[in-house]
Amino acid sequence: MFRRKAFTAVSAAAAAGAALITAVTLSGGVANAATTTFTPVADTYVDNSTTGTNYGTSAQLGVDNSPVKRLFLRFTVSGVSGTVTSAKLRVHTDDVAGAESPSGGTFRRMSNTTWSETGTTWNAQPSIDGATLGTLGSVARNAWYEVDVTSYVTGNGTYSIGVTSTATDGADFDARESGSATAPQLVVTTGTVSSPSPTVTTPPPSGDPVLVGAGDIADSGSGDTATAALLDNIPGTVFTLGDNVYTNGTASEFNSYYNPTWGRHKARTRPVAGNHDYNTSGATGYYGYFGSSAGDPTKGYYSYNVGTNWHVVVLNSNCSAIGGCNAGSAQERWLRSDLTTSGRPCTVAMWHHPRYTSGANHAPDTSVAPLVQALYDNNADLILTGHNHQYERFAPINPSNQLDTTRGIRHFVVGSGGAGHYSFGTILANSEVRNSDTYGVLKLTLHASSYTWQFVPQSGRTFTDSGTTNCH
Amino acid sequence: MTLSLRARVLVTVLAALVLAGAAVAYAASARSAKAAKDRLAAVPSAPVGNGPRLQVLTNGRLSTVSSADPGGPREVTALACDRAYAAAGTVACLKPAGPLSATSLSVMDASLKERASVPLRGFPNRLRVSASGRMVAWTLFIDGHSYATTGFSTQAGILDTRTGRLVKSLEEFTITLDGRTYRNPDANFWGVTFAADDNRFYATLSTGGRRHLVEGDFAAGTVRTLRDNVECPSLSPDGTHIAYKSAIGGDPKKGWRLSVLDLTSRRVTPLAETRSVDDQPTWLDDHTIAYALQTGDGTNNIWSVPADGSGTTRLLVPGANSPAPSGSPASR
Repeated sequence: MFRRKAFTAVSAAAAAGAALITAVTLSGGVANAATTTFTPVADTYVDNSTTGTNYGTSAQLGVDNSPVKRLFLRFTVSGVSGTVTSAKLRVHTDDVAGAESPSGGTFRRMSNTTWSETGTTWNAQPSIDGATLGTLGSVARNAWYEVDVTSYVTGNGTYSIGVTSTATDGADFDARESGSATAPQLVVTTGTVSSPSPTVTTPPPSGDPVLVGAGDIADSGSGDTATAALLDNIPGTVFTLGDNVYTNGTASEFNSYYNPTWGRHKARTRPVAGNHDYNTSGATGYYGYFGSSAGDPTKGYYSYNVGTNWHVVVLNSNCSAIGGCNAGSAQERWLRSDLTTSGRPCTVAMWHHPRYTSGANHAPDTSVAPLVQALYDNNADLILTGHNHQYERFAPINPSNQLDTTRGIRHFVVGSGGAGHYSFGTILANSEVRNSDTYGVLKLTLHASSYTWQFVPQSGRTFTDSGTTNCH
Repeated sequence: MTLSLRARVLVTVLAALVLAGAAVAYAASARSAKAAKDRLAAVPSAPVGNGPRLQVLTNGRLSTVSSADPGGPREVTALACDRAYAAAGTVACLKPAGPLSATSLSVMDASLKERASVPLRGFPNRLRVSASGRMVAWTLFIDGHSYATTGFSTQAGILDTRTGRLVKSLEEFTITLDGRTYRNPDANFWGVTFAADDNRFYATLSTGGRRHLVEGDFAAGTVRTLRDNVECPSLSPDGTHIAYKSAIGGDPKKGWRLSVLDLTSRRVTPLAETRSVDDQPTWLDDHTIAYALQTGDGTNNIWSVPADGSGTTRLLVPGANSPAPSGSPASR
């Protein structure tokens, strides 16, 4: 019902299955615009008269002041290129008596984009903490209403919107569960698409340096072969994130499993040691195979620079093997000194055991917390780990896993290098993206004052994840 | 899930009943009392409707949904469990293990007041409460994390909440394998299910590269093997059938299929679920099996399927796992 006469529907294909893409060609073919409509990836409301109740599967979304009801919407915008010229949130009131209200509510930004659709209750609700986007006046039943959210939705990404009302006679909107005809919509229009139809365009090579790699890599299976084939087509420095070989980190395993696969790129590889590497005492298989690229075998931590603006810190989270990771340990003191003297505006750190992970098999590891703290204190940008055999990306967070858009460090778990996948357990706060069924590598393009990440999946698989964040 | 208009009206009516105070709060009443002060309308937080409830975990938080509308509104508590089960007023929870803290079994009453706590080592995996609420049985991974690999080890234990007898590992029990007394340090047990007498139980015994269904006698401290390639058994409420997972082609690396074994005729019926299920199934009633599956992004979903091999699978509770038909909260 939002298509106008001149609009031509071209494609409804979208990776997330959530977007209806409509391409528009204006007469003359000079200027082009594209409109993409997204439905929420999650929506729910909470009610202070039923404080422990979740309504995530409800077809209705209530907003009210008596009882107090707040509603939450989350959209993932993807596949949009060019400048967003317009973003409109559209909500439809329910076709039942009482859905109408003197106030449709106040719509505000939310910084929390990882709340759970089926776990959110009045007692456990995200904060509606951002700027007001708009307010709806009186709403009738069975009708569409629009809020301009162009100031918020500026490109690909995940957006949360919270709605509150001061009316004691609240409004009821249709949720995504009501079906595509009445589900909330985010209509995103871009004005500077360079081709008549929306196509996935690969940006030209920027010449910026690339880091690419993963952890939990080589065993008798075929996952390592699949990820090594990806490296064949990606230039740059290769990193590993530990557990380079299974099961015991022996020289024989390095020769049998790692060398024929990731070993093709050994000359450009700077590795990380994992617990399986240390199953051989002193990780002598690991240090013997990688030689000086792995740093001092009594330490296993080292750093290097990439390009003109980036500093890379490799740490050793096998803490007991090197005298600990605690504050005041040799490694932690070295880290603080190294960060202070690096003189580079952007920093990425990597090791094996994740400080934060939603994986079912290895709990978040507090022993590396002093290293995370040192990195945060020194304004580092990225932390890469492995250990749980899956991919997970966190929002920029402080050392306590609280969202921190000013100084927060983005944590990744990239245990997707080839060893058999693990499942997920309880999903942690601020976990933005997860995958446990695709082998792949993380490619980081290191710009002068920002980084672009891209999960590159094994051949034949479609899961991917990408984005750009500025250094701080 | 889309609610029909009629269903929505029904929910509204049920909600009205709740507002009238017709239902009893599931979660701790202390919190409800405190929260009531903060509310405009002084009514307790309560499940929508007062019929039987299904207990589940919502991203690791103990929750309940209405058995009549399992895809509808749910009550979510603050209690964190890696695995949970409930029967006849006994709620069991295997608490998450931290990096420096081990897991523990918490046995609670229906108002979630703790009656017993058992410190344990390992990663929570399976958990059951017998139908009477008396026996609690659990499985933990000690080494490794997957039934699909080799080299993992598990530990299955049982607590008799009436006598306090605690069996930390079924490996203490005497094994009769293929009719002969058997000992092997490689023995691993997992997936316990109890019969109505609270003494007889079934479980999985893995040893010598084979995975057996065993029948056990808790009082006697014995188990005997019944048949091969039966894992994570679950006895039907009427005690006549066992739902279980069996490795495809006997190879756990190929995944598992859900089947039901008729204990009288020994006939095996594969269920309509064709995806690989690595869970201990549960019986919602004598005709319906429930189990959890996880999608690639870590989202758990509870599905159900008819126990007689007919029909199709049904998404029962989105965004949840660890299902347990826990009875009516009003009866607690």
